[in-house]
Amino acid sequence: MRTFEYKAPETIDEAVSLLKEAGGSARPLAGGTDLVVQMKERATRFPYPATIVSLDRVSELRGVDFSETDGLRIGAGATMTDVATHPAVRERYAALAEGAGVVGSLQTMNMATIGGNVCNAAPSADTVPPLLVYDAKAVIVGPNGRRTLPIAEFFRGPGETALESDELLAELRLPVPATGTGAAYQRNTPRKQMDIAVVGVAVALTLSGDAIEHARVALGAVAPTPLRAMSAEAALQGQPASEETFAKAAEAAAQDSTPITDIRASADYRRHLVKVMTARLLAEAANRAKGTA
Amino acid sequence: MPRQLISLTINGREREVAVEPHWTLLETVREALDLTGSKEGCGTGDCGACTMSVDGRIVTSCLMLAPQVNGRQVTTIEGLQSNGSLDPVQQAFIDTGGLQCGYCIPGMIVAARNLIDDNPSPTLDQIREGLAGNLCRCTGYTKIYEAVELAAERIRGGA
Amino acid sequence: MAQETKVRESTGTDANGHTAVGQRVTRLDGAAKVTGKTVYADDMKMPGMLHTSVLYAPHAHARIKSLDTAKARAVPGVHAVITAADLPDYNRKDSNRTGLIFPDKEVLFFGQPVAAVLSEDPHVAAEAVELIEAEFEPLPAVLDAVAAMEKDSPLVRDPLHDVDRSEERGHVSVETKETEQEGEPSNIASSAPFERGDVAAGFAEADIVIERTWRSAMVHQSYIEPHATIADYDISGELSVWTSTQAPFYIRDELAQAFGIPENRIRITATEVGGGFGGKIYLTELMVAALAIAVKRPVKYIMSRKDDMLAATPAPFAHIELKTGMKRDGTLTALQARLIYDSGAFPGAPMLPGCMLIGGYYRCDNIDIKGYEVLTNKVSVGALRAPGAHNATFAIESHMDIMAKELGLDPLEMRLKNAVAEGDLMPNGQTYPAIGLRECLEAIADSDVWRRRREVEATPNRGIGLAVGGWLGGLQPASAIVCLNPDGTLNVTVGSADITGTNTSFQQITAEVLNVPLDMVNVETGDTKTAPYAGMSAGSKTVYTVGRAVKAAAEDLKQQMFELAMKRLEVEPEDMEVANCQVQVKGAPDRAMTFKRFGKLSTNFGAPFPVIVGRGSIAARKTAPGFTAQAADVEVDPDTGDVTLHGYAIAQDAGFAINPLSVEGQMQGGASQGIGIALWEEMRYDEDGRLLNPNLLDYRLPTSRDLPPIETIIVEVPSEEGPFGARIVGEPSIVAGPAAIGNAIDSAVGARQHEVPITPERLLRSMGKL
Ligand SMILES: Cc1cc2nc3c(=O)[nH]c(=O)nc-3n(C[C@H](O)[C@H](O)[C@H](O)COP(=O)(O)OP(=O)(O)OC[C@H]3O[C@@H](n4cnc5c(N)ncnc54)[C@H](O)[C@@H]3O)c2cc1C
Ligand code: FES
Ligand code: FES
Repeated sequence: MRTFEYKAPETIDEAVSLLKEAGGSARPLAGGTDLVVQMKERATRFPYPATIVSLDRVSELRGVDFSETDGLRIGAGATMTDVATHPAVRERYAALAEGAGVVGSLQTMNMATIGGNVCNAAPSADTVPPLLVYDAKAVIVGPNGRRTLPIAEFFRGPGETALESDELLAELRLPVPATGTGAAYQRNTPRKQMDIAVVGVAVALTLSGDAIEHARVALGAVAPTPLRAMSAEAALQGQPASEETFAKAAEAAAQDSTPITDIRASADYRRHLVKVMTARLLAEAANRAKGTA
Repeated sequence: MPRQLISLTINGREREVAVEPHWTLLETVREALDLTGSKEGCGTGDCGACTMSVDGRIVTSCLMLAPQVNGRQVTTIEGLQSNGSLDPVQQAFIDTGGLQCGYCIPGMIVAARNLIDDNPSPTLDQIREGLAGNLCRCTGYTKIYEAVELAAERIRGGA
Repeated sequence: MAQETKVRESTGTDANGHTAVGQRVTRLDGAAKVTGKTVYADDMKMPGMLHTSVLYAPHAHARIKSLDTAKARAVPGVHAVITAADLPDYNRKDSNRTGLIFPDKEVLFFGQPVAAVLSEDPHVAAEAVELIEAEFEPLPAVLDAVAAMEKDSPLVRDPLHDVDRSEERGHVSVETKETEQEGEPSNIASSAPFERGDVAAGFAEADIVIERTWRSAMVHQSYIEPHATIADYDISGELSVWTSTQAPFYIRDELAQAFGIPENRIRITATEVGGGFGGKIYLTELMVAALAIAVKRPVKYIMSRKDDMLAATPAPFAHIELKTGMKRDGTLTALQARLIYDSGAFPGAPMLPGCMLIGGYYRCDNIDIKGYEVLTNKVSVGALRAPGAHNATFAIESHMDIMAKELGLDPLEMRLKNAVAEGDLMPNGQTYPAIGLRECLEAIADSDVWRRRREVEATPNRGIGLAVGGWLGGLQPASAIVCLNPDGTLNVTVGSADITGTNTSFQQITAEVLNVPLDMVNVETGDTKTAPYAGMSAGSKTVYTVGRAVKAAAEDLKQQMFELAMKRLEVEPEDMEVANCQVQVKGAPDRAMTFKRFGKLSTNFGAPFPVIVGRGSIAARKTAPGFTAQAADVEVDPDTGDVTLHGYAIAQDAGFAINPLSVEGQMQGGASQGIGIALWEEMRYDEDGRLLNPNLLDYRLPTSRDLPPIETIIVEVPSEEGPFGARIVGEPSIVAGPAAIGNAIDSAVGARQHEVPITPERLLRSMGKL
């Protein structure tokens, strides 16, 4: 690995000023499971960083807290293990626990942060479809203070985000899911673990009786960024939670996707998977919704 | 780049080491601390041969930078023996034949020990899940599963 | 645990009166390995050592226009930058992958080493490599082996000359009429025909004829330790190399030739091998030795995983066309095959064993098999555990299932009916010695996996598949030495690299012959200056050949003690025996001399006996082919194509399992690799011949999540020559996986798989769902 200067600030403000000072030649480091790999392979999408601003001593970035009034706050520096094992996440945000719980190995999950997953902006990032279906907001801190962005607006392309080079993702905020909500995330990979999603699908359904009051469908690895499948959501909204509705929505989700053929799979296969998995997950989410109702 | 001094507790001993910022934890431990038990199989987090425990959680040390472990507790395969006797997990790998070339083994055993510490009675499925980050090319894992079951049993039995 | 190992559980004396062999013995090196004490090449440091970073060709085929190393040399900390022009003199052999260090005119595959940077700091070396300014002029890259055979195909390279095939011969011994590339220049490096009877007549006789094409991807050995080598050349002209290899003596001989150094001035130390599987014979040693000679300092080269994926010697892609005919009663009447192995840019593809096996499992009067080894502009291939065998076996074992299904025959019964046995012909006309193919089929019939077949197959999308596999085995002479120490303990020295626990088996063999407890015997692998000669640890032959030499050495030592004891015990050697660490008179154990006494009397000052050193050396003449039968229990998700492996069983003939614990380990490890080839492993290239997945995330080895415990059944049909009847063990286990899994999937969802790996996507397409 080529060398760099290493800074370990203790506060967000300090980190931001270090980034600002460096004027684009610095890069924040969280768990390093993307960044260090990219640096070793000289495969960063940005110029090789001259300065690394490590976030691991910034305690403000840590922690996962839930309250019935404010919902869930996840510090960008929370690890996948922190997220996946947190009781409130498991109970109230099952799709997110599922997304965080499949990232690499135990070793990977102990290092990888949710902030890194989001900021690396891979189309296949496993926590992002869940964040999309829970209407998460990204809290961003820069030299000019804080701003908040709906997570869907955070992604600009593979590896591209709404962040300026001197901004940090500080936390993610997820509202409390309405009563009667069921959600789920699943991905397809050739190996059962240690793999990158060929397709990832997250859904959330809020049922009132048998009717779908509110629906979210989000897809990973089938477009330049993770995306919400809007026509699938429309096909669900207000409809009965039936196999027929799910089939239609699944079809619509496949239409919403714009996959490519790459080393992991062909576009065809990905679109097919979107359909199969969406239908299955909607059924699963509906079951969960009924379980919590 | 000038070296910087970090201090860490390695296998229970406090040490100061002068490191370059781009050194990984793995390199630091192998080259600067002369503990060569941990192996590099890929350097990119994919094989688990470099597994160490940092503050009680296992990590792939090939992806952690040396300065990141400043002030932390690191345990490597060399830290598992106590008072000159093998850890029950180490003994179980020998007894079941759960090792061949041995290159994956230091990382595998650190991961297995961590798994048992977290879950003293792991089921076969839990073992298979817990070790998925540690590739072994030689054994086909069968005897590794047996080793972890045997070790867990012995540890529960207070052996 | 669901897994069950059916094997003689023996403690004490077994039915044959054995006390040491046949026992489940833990490895001699176990404690070192579980504590991290074992020293691998990357763990070694030499004073003044330089690290190497290599520039790899960025094109599959290109002319080298210029190589400007000035900027790289200028990097502070760079000790030297070495290109073809800077190498010391060596006997270059352009037709062999390992005969050419750096090309000077043309690169032949993506990843071919072109230059090296040396520095005390590996990071500096890596950085400087990026500063080498290399200009290439791309040439047409030939990537498809089948198309490469066409007359009008562009040529991969200049015609070959004097190809050295000694490395391939270390893995398997096959007598054939192979022809090397000759006549018009073409991309066919070699070809071989195997014919018997009249195939046309055979097909005419058949009730069904099946004709299919089978493809199997290029796969990588993926040992967890990448290639690692250190070399040092001292002022007196001695070359020392420490390297992760299965073949120290082979390397010595090659380096001696390459540099014109006498063999007694080269020391090759086979460091602990972190996995080889055929891929660690001889690769980086010539380059590293040349670098050390060039700079007169120790040089270390550790391949990164990416280097290793790009520029080691993986196993070939194969395209196999097979036509078989069978009568309604299950008699195989004709077999015609064309096997094309993609050798990459240098010869070395294991086409011969593929031909031998495709026509070697079943009796058939009419065969016509042609093998081709074809060059392409891809990395050249080497051996992977039973090289070439899984590709061919996938074809024939899938055919057997198709035919059984079409004829309504039981796949196991039908195989038993045709399976070869002692005296049957191999494709090259030789006859089989005693073998255990049928016994393996009978054993797998009794496995839990096969016995639950009816029940499993009643479950939708679940199926059980069966396949056999085998390997003919290699032969090389071998030798060993056993020394008696003053305290009566014994040291065994061999020259074979211990990769699979072979030294532990040698400990058992010695203890058995001398009737002593295991801990009286220690075994060490020496380097090429100190150890007696042994062939490469490849071709599954280490216990089979070196084990025989160890046995002979222990017997020699015993005989020496008997003769020395004649005077004192006053009986002839025939009336003596070894027991309780002593030589004693049969029937009168109190008339004895202890080993310790022999030790003292042969080593003390003024001792009356000569030093007691047993010597064993053997020529290996007869192969001892090993067969296996395997069964897979899979479930297919019919909508996604995902495959879940619920169970796997392997039965394999070990002849005699000297150490059942390590035999089982070999069987399980090989089976897992076969499963990997069946379901996940594939080196993927883009249209320009660039490897797309040079890492262990996208090149998918099976993880523990993917592999259930493997049911392991040892079969024992003794070999003629092997120690205590042992036969080859290491390789057969990998061979059957692709076919067994393919057959299981067909049984689960009725979709025949013609290509491995069987990715979910390929599977779904075969089901017509995509
Ligand atoms: C073996 C292995 C398996 C993997 N498997 C998966 C998988 O299954 N699913 C998956 O989604 N990913 C996977 N990954 C990728 C990776 O682990 C995740 O994307 C992870 O969440 C990244 O987090 P990190 O903390 O390691 O980020 P880092 O690597 O530290 O950073 C990633 C990027 O985000 C930027 N960044 C980090 N934090 C912030 C912040 N707070 N503000 C602004 N920018 C920031 C960094 O500058 C960098 O560009 C895998 C990686 C490995 C090595
Ligand atoms: S070396 Fe760290 S995971 Fe492979
Ligand atoms: S023992 Fe060789 S890789 Fe596990």
